[in-house]
Amino acid sequence: MAARTILAAAGLLGLGLILLIAGAIVEPAAPAISQTGESLIAVGLTFIAIAVGFFFAWAAPS
Amino acid sequence: MEGEDSSGVKYLVGKTAGKSGVIAGLVATHIATIFGLWFYGARLPKFDFPSLNGYIYVGLPFGFTHPDVAFVVGGVFHYVDGILFGLIFALVVSPMMGRVIKPLAPMTPTTNYIKGLIWGWTLWIISSALWMPLLIGPILAPYGAPVGVFLTSFDGYGVQALLANLLWHTIWGANLGLIFSPRPASGGARSWMRATAAEMR
Repeated sequence: MAARTILAAAGLLGLGLILLIAGAIVEPAAPAISQTGESLIAVGLTFIAIAVGFFFAWAAPS
Repeated sequence: MEGEDSSGVKYLVGKTAGKSGVIAGLVATHIATIFGLWFYGARLPKFDFPSLNGYIYVGLPFGFTHPDVAFVVGGVFHYVDGILFGLIFALVVSPMMGRVIKPLAPMTPTTNYIKGLIWGWTLWIISSALWMPLLIGPILAPYGAPVGVFLTSFDGYGVQALLANLLWHTIWGANLGLIFSPRPASGGARSWMRATAAEMR
């Protein structure tokens, strides 16, 4: 369970980073906005936040 | 700060589920609120929930209240809401999930964290489907900023507002689940499945 949790968290972190980078590339310079770019940034940051939380929970003493 | 009550369950902060839930709710609400105000730095819609609450209670419907007043008054309501949602999670939702969803029965940091995320995503759906379109939408629509069905347009943004709201509630739920973390005082794999009513309070 612990090994699978840490693998899932690592996968989420990697996926989040990929989405975040893709969103940053798609996003045009301000003040223009891209719905796709900002959506990718939001989803990427969400995955990263979930993954970081999983690492904290996994590392906490039970 | 770690506490343990007479039921054999210990918490990361506080000695009872209620106190721990209130503290976790406060921390989660403050962290998520601050991140929401910072969102525009990452090219996302700014989520100013204190001001949005202020618009409901003292703002636009009653004439133009000063933005500072709307922010402060709305902020008080917003923080109370967040703390009480944390309390509801600690006393009702978390034990219920532990009894109904078998994989979430063990009292471990990981299951407590997942429960917090699920509660945060539940509030995201309520916020996006009901709170924003039904309460904020009619207030902002006359000013040319309709919210749209399921938060699909907000202040000139499209579906990214819905996803930024998901990020906001993920941050809230993650902090709630990490800080409200009941565990057996004696260690081992004690679970909600075998918890008595007294232990769940």
